[in-house]
Amino acid sequence: MSKTILSEIDNLIIAKVISQETANDMKLYYSKNQGTTQNKLFVIFGIFGAILSGLGVILILAHNWDDLSNFTKSIISFLPLLIGQVFCGYTLIQKPNNLTWREASSVFLFVSIGASISLIAQIYNISGDFDKFLLTWYLLGLPLIYLMHSSTVSLLYLVGITFYCCQTNYFEYPKLQTNFWYFLLLIGFLPHYYLLLKKQTESNFTLFHNWFFAISLLVVLGIFAFDQQNWIWVAYISLLAIYYFIGKNDFFEKQDLKFNSFYIIGKLGTIFMLFQFSFNSFWESIFRHQTINLYQNIDFFVALLLSILALSLFIRKNKNFKMQDFHLVEIVFLINLIFIICGFSMTYLANILVLLIGLTEINRGNKLNNLGILNYGLAIITLLIICRFFDTDFSFAMRGLIFMIVGFGFFLTNYLMLKKRQENG
Amino acid sequence: MVNKKFIYIIFAVMVLAQLFVPLQIIFHQEKILSEGKIVKFKMQPLDPNDPFRGKYVNLSFQENRIWVKNTKNFQPGETIFAKFKIDNLGFIQITSICKTEPNQDLDYLKLKINYLGYDNKQEIFLDFPFNKFYMNENKAQKAEDIYRESNTHIQNNTYAIIAIKAGEAVIKDVMINGVSIKKLSE
Repeated sequence: MSKTILSEIDNLIIAKVISQETANDMKLYYSKNQGTTQNKLFVIFGIFGAILSGLGVILILAHNWDDLSNFTKSIISFLPLLIGQVFCGYTLIQKPNNLTWREASSVFLFVSIGASISLIAQIYNISGDFDKFLLTWYLLGLPLIYLMHSSTVSLLYLVGITFYCCQTNYFEYPKLQTNFWYFLLLIGFLPHYYLLLKKQTESNFTLFHNWFFAISLLVVLGIFAFDQQNWIWVAYISLLAIYYFIGKNDFFEKQDLKFNSFYIIGKLGTIFMLFQFSFNSFWESIFRHQTINLYQNIDFFVALLLSILALSLFIRKNKNFKMQDFHLVEIVFLINLIFIICGFSMTYLANILVLLIGLTEINRGNKLNNLGILNYGLAIITLLIICRFFDTDFSFAMRGLIFMIVGFGFFLTNYLMLKKRQENG
Repeated sequence: MVNKKFIYIIFAVMVLAQLFVPLQIIFHQEKILSEGKIVKFKMQPLDPNDPFRGKYVNLSFQENRIWVKNTKNFQPGETIFAKFKIDNLGFIQITSICKTEPNQDLDYLKLKINYLGYDNKQEIFLDFPFNKFYMNENKAQKAEDIYRESNTHIQNNTYAIIAIKAGEAVIKDVMINGVSIKKLSE
C-alpha cells in the first residue's frame, strides 16, 4: 500500500473524520487490491518475458549460423520447441493453477512452434507456401488454449487466423478463389471465449477477447465481396446492427462500457456507414457497378442472412417498445434495406439521420449532465458539416459562416452545461 | 484423476504432433537432397545494385518462361508441372508444361504460373518455389562486395545447384563464376 494513502488515513483518524474501525477496513481493502494488482503485473511481465525470450533465442541462434552443418542447425531449431514443451509439461503437472506459469509457458511454446518451422524452412531454403505455414502453426498451437487454459494464446490464435484470412484473401496475388478456412478455425476459438464470458465476465482477458473478436469478424467480412461489391456494404451495416443489439443485451449492458465492444463498434460503425451513405458519389458507384448476376453471388446470401438476423434481434429488442430505450441507430439497417430494394439513393435521408443522431446525443448529454456525450453529439454534427464542405457548392464565405456558428455552438453548449453544474453545486 | 490422465494424454499427442511436422519437413527435404537428380539452373545476371537483400539472395532464373499454343487455357497462380531435359553441361531446359502430374519416373518440376504474356504473346512466366537462398547478412555483404569488384566487364556465370525428386526441388548451393557463394563470403 502506498505511503500517501497510509498517511492520509492516519490524518483522517487524527482529524476524527473516520473512526479507527473504518480506518482498519480501508487499510485492509487497499492491501487486497494492491495484491491483485501485483499478481496481474506478474502475469503481464511473465507473458512479455516469454515472448521476448522466445524471439531472443532465435536471434542468438542466428549468429554464426552459416558455419554449422544442416544436421546441427536442424537440432538447434528444435530447441525452442522442446524448451517450450518442457515448460508446459512442468506447468501442467506441478503448477496447473498458477496463472503466470500457464500463460507464460504456453505463449513461449506457441511462438516456438512458428519459430521452429521457420528456422527449418530457412535451413533448407524453402520459400514457398506462406499460407500453409501459417495454417500449420495455428493448428499445432490451438490445443494449448484448452490444455493450458491460456487466454493469451487464444488472443494470439485469433489474431493469427485473422491475419491468415487477410493474407489468403486480401494480400495474395493472384487469388484464384476465396479462402473460407477462417470460419472453421474460428470454431476452435469459440468454446474458450464462451467460457471466459461465463466464468470471468469482468476479467481483462475477457475485455480483450470482446474487442478482438468483434474487430476480427468485421475485418474478415470483406472476403465475401471477392471481385464484386454489390451487397457487401449491406452485409456490413447489418453486422454492425447485430453488434449494436448484442451490446444492448442485458448481459453486456450491465457491465462497464469498456467491456461492451459490440455496442461501441455497432454504434460508431453505423454512424460511420451513415456518413458514407450521405455522399452522392457512394450511391453513384454502387448503382454503376451492379452486375448482371446480382442475386447469385455469395455476398448477396451473406447480406441476406445478416439482415434477417439483424431484423430478428431488432424485433426481439423492441417487442416491449419503450421510447427512452430506442435509438435511431437501430433502424438504419432497416431503412437502408428498404431503399436498396427499391433502388433509391439514401443520400438525403442519411444526412437527416446523422443530424438527428447528433442532436439526440446532445440532448442525452444535457439530460445526463455528461460533457462527453454532449461533445460527442456536437462532434457528429461538425463532422457532417465538414463532409458537406467537400461536396456542396456553397461559397467559402457561407461555409466559413457555418463553421463559425458550429464552433460558437460548441462553446455555448459546454459553457451552459458547466454553468448549470456550478449552480447545482 | 481420470480427467488429469486424459489431459496428459492429449498433451503428449500435441507434443508429438508439434515435433512430427518439422521432422517430416526435414526428412522430406533430406530425401530430395540425397536421392534427387542434381541439376544446374542458370540464373539471370545478378542485379549489380541489389543482389543480396537482407538475409537472403533473391534468385531469378533464365528458364522462367515457356511458349504454349494458347495461354487462355492457363491462369496466374495455377499449379502446373514443367517437364525438363538436361543439356550436356548439366543445365536444365524446360521443354513443356502440363496440368496433370506426370509419371514420377520422368523429369519434371511442380511450379506455379506467375503471369501470362502480354500483347498476345503465347508465353507463360513461371514462379519457382525455390527463389530464395538464405545467408548470414554480414557474410552476404562481403559476398556482394567481392562480386562487385570482380568481373564487371564480362557476363557473370551464375547458377544454382538444385536437387529434384518427384517434382519437388531443394537448393544445394549458388555458384558465382564457379565459386560457391558461401566460400565467397568467408
